[in-house]
Amino acid sequence: MTSQPISAGPFDPPNVVWSPVSPRLSTARLASASISLGLPLIAGAVLAALSGIVWLWLIPAAFAAVLGWLGWLIPRQVRAIGYAERADDLLIRKGILVRSMVVVPYGRMQYVDVEAGPLARAFGIASVQLHTASQITGAVINGLSPVEATRLRDQLASRGEARLAGL
Amino acid sequence: MSEGTVVDRPQESPPVGLVWRRMHPVTPAVKGWKVVVVLLALGVQQLGENLRELGDLMGTNTWLIALAVLGAGALIGFGYAAIAWRMTRFAIDDEAVYLHSGVLFRQQRKARLDRLQAVDVVQPLLARLLGLAELRLEVAGGAGSGISLSFLREDDATALRTELLALAAGVRRVEGTPAPVPAPQDSVLEVTPARLIAAMARSGGSVVLVLGVAGLIAAVVASHEIGTIFVMVPAALGFVSFYWGRFSREFNFRAAISPEGIGLRHGLLEARSQTVPPGRVQALRLTQSLLWRGPGWWRVEMNVAGYSGEKVQVTENVLLPVGDRDQALLAIWLVLPDLGVADPRALLAAAMDGSGQEEGFTTIPRRARWLDPLGWRRAGFVVTDRALLIRSGRLTHRLVVVPHERTQSLSLEQGPVQRRLGVASLVVHSTPGTVRPQIPHLDATAAGALMTEQAARARTARAGAGPELWRRPVVEP
Repeated sequence: MTSQPISAGPFDPPNVVWSPVSPRLSTARLASASISLGLPLIAGAVLAALSGIVWLWLIPAAFAAVLGWLGWLIPRQVRAIGYAERADDLLIRKGILVRSMVVVPYGRMQYVDVEAGPLARAFGIASVQLHTASQITGAVINGLSPVEATRLRDQLASRGEARLAGL
Repeated sequence: MSEGTVVDRPQESPPVGLVWRRMHPVTPAVKGWKVVVVLLALGVQQLGENLRELGDLMGTNTWLIALAVLGAGALIGFGYAAIAWRMTRFAIDDEAVYLHSGVLFRQQRKARLDRLQAVDVVQPLLARLLGLAELRLEVAGGAGSGISLSFLREDDATALRTELLALAAGVRRVEGTPAPVPAPQDSVLEVTPARLIAAMARSGGSVVLVLGVAGLIAAVVASHEIGTIFVMVPAALGFVSFYWGRFSREFNFRAAISPEGIGLRHGLLEARSQTVPPGRVQALRLTQSLLWRGPGWWRVEMNVAGYSGEKVQVTENVLLPVGDRDQALLAIWLVLPDLGVADPRALLAAAMDGSGQEEGFTTIPRRARWLDPLGWRRAGFVVTDRALLIRSGRLTHRLVVVPHERTQSLSLEQGPVQRRLGVASLVVHSTPGTVRPQIPHLDATAAGALMTEQAARARTARAGAGPELWRRPVVEP
């Protein structure tokens, strides 16, 4: 996902090369969605089949529709996530319909968290969260490979230490 | 699995050779009352429910049992407070304040003085009567990271505050020299009780009150039943407690400026004296509701790291409860003596009451006016050399001031409708508090440019900002 001069809007600052996150994040999110929506789908289908009431099939159909929509949406959402390390700050952007871009100066970082839950570990991804003195910063990068997450964390920590200022 | 990389969070044990001190011995007596009060409240509640059986109770042993329960509760409460007092001790060196506390779960806490954001001396009513005070240190570490030393003798608390502020400012302690004297304070802002009452009378709550009373009278007249009034008793009590709480918290408000920083004092029953060192105010907000437009009054609130601002009953975020225009300007001056423009009065006049593009303001573009039909001419921003000024609100005038060096991070947001209209919103992230700076619906290109420029400005401003140890250059006596 390189910057394209044609679509240079506010979410595409010049001279920024965006790094994508791992496509395994889509797999992980799809797996999670399949579990939480697939089980009610199956339960609804069984119920409809056993009871023989035709309109009860609407329930599994609705779940299937949502699942299909998520299957279309999630890979696009994941492709829209990008981050860029600049000389003095880190940029994170995400979202298709509602787009957002956060800029976190290295000197404002208080600490950096690397997290990987059981599902994320199974898919070999981790997330990096940057904490500033503001609670609403919300700078999380999901779906990094563990190696990249560790590299990013060390990189951010050393850059943060070099530029750390008071509040 | 969660591993954190700590940029700045040292976890070593306290150095040896510290002089450990205890709180004042009367502390358990002041703190232990809480248990008794809770028990009494429970008892009264129970009694209220069984009001009819009160007569039957009088003759029996129930009173004795109640007294025994109360006595046991008092014993436990005071006993626990006494043990807690025994286990609590604190020490101070040039770098930090150390507090050891806890009965079952021991807690060792260290507050680094170079991270000190504010020092409060709080005196609840009982402590005030006994000449005691609580010293609260706010450090930038999120909720519950501060240190509370309760209770100390009032003189000790103020002396300790002076010492801590001097240490935090970088004035070194030298053995044998007299303790630092508090910096002279010049009171610059005062709110008279009359002004406070008038301001409360012109609040939104009063409108509700007037409407409520009018509705009640109408209901009584219509139904010919005076009993309807009693339905309103809980609501009336709510109003009384709301007004009383605000009055007693903001009573006798005065702000002062000294080398130690901004000093605020207020409180009728619970006296609170706050000191916010220079450069610790992260953001400011001036508010003028519609009812205050006539007399031209403003309320000024601030964000200070450590003051959460989430509790409505706390006034620690208030820099000026109510004041006229000059007082509001003075409050801005206390925080930002230099706005970085040639004519700050003209700029602030446009920021407080103006609208449109005058004085360099950038507002919502005309094509996006439907996103904010009332306030689109007013909502906007202007950048000076020192701060970002955000103006908003057509009915309630608001002005947010964020010094460049206090910007934490920035984010740009754009929803589907905004994309169609070619606008985007910029959010400036400040420390937790009542002030949440954001500029909605700016022209997308301008917003993107502002974000880039603002990040650069914040960086330059931080590099040139005053030292954290703000009195370090002072020659020691």
